[in-house]
Amino acid sequence: MKPAPQQRIWMYATMLKSRLFDAAVFEAYWEGKKPVFHMGRGPLPGEMHQSFGQEPTAVGVCAHLGPDDAVGAGHRPHHVAIARGVDLERMAAELFGKKTGLSGGRGGHMHLYDNKVSFFCSGIIAEGMGPGAGMALARKMRKQPGIAVAYNGDGAVNQGAFHEVMNMAALWKLPFVCVIEDNKYAVSVTTRESTAVPAWKRAAAYDCPGEYVTGNDPDLIFEAAARAVKHARDGNGPFILELETERLHGHFIGDVAGYRSKDEVAAQKDPIPSYRQRLLDEKVLTVADMEALEAQVRQVVAAAIQFGRDSEYPAPREALERVFA
Amino acid sequence: MVQQASTTGGSARTLTMARAGREAVIAEMRKDPNIFVIGEDIAKLGGVFGTTVGMAEEFGAQRVIDTPISETGFIGIATGAAMAGMRPIVEIAFVDFIGVCFNAIFNFAAKTHYMSGGQFKVPMTMMIGYGGGYNDAAQHSQCLVGTLAHVPGIRIVTPADAHDAKGLMHSCLRDDNLTIWMVHKAIWGLGWLGTALKTAMATVPEEEYTIPFGKARTWREGTDVTLIGYGITVHHSLQAAEKLAAEGISAEVLDLRTIVPLDREAIMKSVARTGRVVVADEDYMNCGVTAEVLATIAERDPQILKAPAVRVANPDVPVPFSRPMENFALPDSDKIAAAAKSTLQS
Amino acid sequence: MTDITVPEGLWGSDDEGVIFAWIYADGARVEAGKLVAELTVEKAQLELLAPASGTLRILAPAETVVRKGTVIGKIEPV
Repeated sequence: MKPAPQQRIWMYATMLKSRLFDAAVFEAYWEGKKPVFHMGRGPLPGEMHQSFGQEPTAVGVCAHLGPDDAVGAGHRPHHVAIARGVDLERMAAELFGKKTGLSGGRGGHMHLYDNKVSFFCSGIIAEGMGPGAGMALARKMRKQPGIAVAYNGDGAVNQGAFHEVMNMAALWKLPFVCVIEDNKYAVSVTTRESTAVPAWKRAAAYDCPGEYVTGNDPDLIFEAAARAVKHARDGNGPFILELETERLHGHFIGDVAGYRSKDEVAAQKDPIPSYRQRLLDEKVLTVADMEALEAQVRQVVAAAIQFGRDSEYPAPREALERVFA
Repeated sequence: MVQQASTTGGSARTLTMARAGREAVIAEMRKDPNIFVIGEDIAKLGGVFGTTVGMAEEFGAQRVIDTPISETGFIGIATGAAMAGMRPIVEIAFVDFIGVCFNAIFNFAAKTHYMSGGQFKVPMTMMIGYGGGYNDAAQHSQCLVGTLAHVPGIRIVTPADAHDAKGLMHSCLRDDNLTIWMVHKAIWGLGWLGTALKTAMATVPEEEYTIPFGKARTWREGTDVTLIGYGITVHHSLQAAEKLAAEGISAEVLDLRTIVPLDREAIMKSVARTGRVVVADEDYMNCGVTAEVLATIAERDPQILKAPAVRVANPDVPVPFSRPMENFALPDSDKIAAAAKSTLQS
Repeated sequence: MTDITVPEGLWGSDDEGVIFAWIYADGARVEAGKLVAELTVEKAQLELLAPASGTLRILAPAETVVRKGTVIGKIEPV
C-alpha cells in the first residue's frame, strides 16, 4: 500500500516540522553553555537527544495511526512525539521547563506525556515496551479499537523487557507493533557489536512477523508500516518492524562521537532533502506550493519555541505537587 | 580517543575524582590479571563519566568489555565470574538504571556469600554515578543510596574528593565482597557540569593507599553544630559552614564516606560534642540515610541532643526537571545553613 | 623557557575551551610528556601534556577561557 499524495505531503511537512523544531532546540540549548559547558545552564538545560536523520521512522508509521491508538517512545522522542501530534507549544514549553509544559515542567525532554494523543516516553531503555503493550492489552480487554506502538532503539532489544514483553504480546495476541529504530549506535556501541542476530529476526521466537526496512525512506517505511499496523488491527497479534535510519548527530548534544570515523559520518545521507526533491520530481507539489508549505511549518515551529521561551516558570513549591492523584 | 596520560615526577598533583578513581583501577588491573571491567560504553568511549578512559587501549577488549544494554544479564555474568575466581568491576553509569537489574544485585550478588554459608565469595566492585542538580530529571538524577544501603550484603562507599576516591577504590578492589563505589556526578570532575569544584579536587599521592571501610572523615572541626553529609552534601555543608562562621556559628562538617558500614562512633562522638545535628542527603528523605543517622543517635544516646535533629533531603518527590522546582527539591548550602541555625534557636 | 601553548590539534572546531584544572601548582617540578592540565571544550575533556621538563609557571588559572594557540603557562628550565 503506497502512500497517497496527501499522506506524502503530510510526511514531508511533519519531517520538516520535526527537523526545524530540533534545529531551534539545538540553538536554544547552547545558550548559556559556552564557553564553559554546564549542562544545567541556559534556558534549555539537561540532556538533549535529538532526532536529526530519524524523522522518516516517525512519519512512516504514525501516518497510519489515529485517535484510538497509543504510542510510546524512548529517550530520543521528538520526531515521534511530533508525528504523533503531541501539542507542539506545550512540548516546547516542557523542554524549557515552563509551567505551561505538558507536565508543568516536571518531566522534561525524555519524559514527554500527552494523554490527548495517548503518547508517553521514558528515559529508561526499552521502557516503552511494557507500558506500550499494556495499552494494547487495555484496548483488547475493553474491546476498544486501536493499537499501541512502542518505539525502541537498536540497543533496547537487548534489554530483558524486550523479550518478556514480545513473548506476552505474542501469547496474548496483543494489538502491538514494536518499532525498532536501527540507527546503528547505542551511544558508542554498534548494533553489530551488541546484537548476535538482527532483532527483527527474533520475531520467529515469538511466532509473529518481523520485517527490516532499509534506506531510511518514508515511502518504504510507510508501506511496511501499513502491513504491521494492519496485522495488529486485524487481531493477529504483534509485529516487529525494524527500520534502518541515521543518527546524524552524536548521541546527545555535546557528544563529539569520536568513536565514529569521519568517513562514516561523511557518508551519511540526510533523508529530508532527498524526499523533498522526490516530491517535486514526481509533481506531488509544485515549487510554489512546497515553499508555501515550508513557510507555514516554519511559522508553527517558531511560534511553539517562542511560546516555550515566553511562558512562565512554575513556582518552586510546585515541585511537591502531583506525586499522587 | 583520549589516552590516560601519566602523571609522575614527584610534585604534588591535584586530580579530579574521575582521574583518581581511574588511577586506582589501572594500578590494580596492572597487578592482578583477574580484574576486568564490564559495562556499557566503557571500551571505545571510556565510560560516560570517564571512568575507563584509556583502559581498553592498555588492557584490551578481553579485560575492558563493552556490553549490550543488558544489565541483568551482565551483572549476573560478572557475578558468576566472581564466584569462579575473577574480580570484575561492573559499571552502571547512572544509579537510576539499577531498577532494571536490581534482582541481580540484591538477590544474588549480595546474598550468595551468605546463602552459600561462605562457600562462594563475590569479589565484585560496582562503579556507579548518582545525583542531580543539572536538570536531568526524574530518571537520571537519583541517588538511591538509601535503597542500596537497605539490603544486606553490599558495602557502599561514597567518596567526596579525589583523595578518598582513589583510596576507597583500592579498598573496594581488594575486598572480597560486593562493594559499590558511588560518586555524585557534580563532583566527579566531568567536563559537562561547568568548571571543577575545587573542594572535590585534592592532592592525590602517586603511591597506592587504602582507606578503611566504616571510617567517616571530619573535614572541618566545629563546636556549635554538626553538619553530616556524604558526596555532594559534604561540599554543600562546607559552604554552609563558611556562611555560618560569618555569623559567629562554629559548624563541624562530618563526611560519612562509607554508608555501609556506617561509622556510628564518629557520628556519636561529634554530636556528643556539639549537641546539635543537621543531616543532609540529596537522596529521598523517607527511610533513607538521614533516618539511619538519626536512628543511631536515638538508639545510643538521645540525651546528647540539645535540640531536635534536622534533616535536609529530597522531600520525597521525583526529581523535577524544571530549574526552580529542582532547586526547591534538592539540598543546598543555604538550606543546610538555615537548618543549622534552627537548631540553635531552641 | 618553554611556553605551554594550547595545541592547534587539541580539538577540531574553532570553539573556545576552558582550563578545567591544573594538575600541579605554580612552582612545581614537572616532566615532559606528562599530564599537566585538563581542558574542556563543550563537553569533551582534553589532556594537555607538559612540553618540557622543569618548573611550572601558571599564567592562566583554572576557569580561564582559552583558544587554540593561547599561551597558558611556561616551563622554566631547572
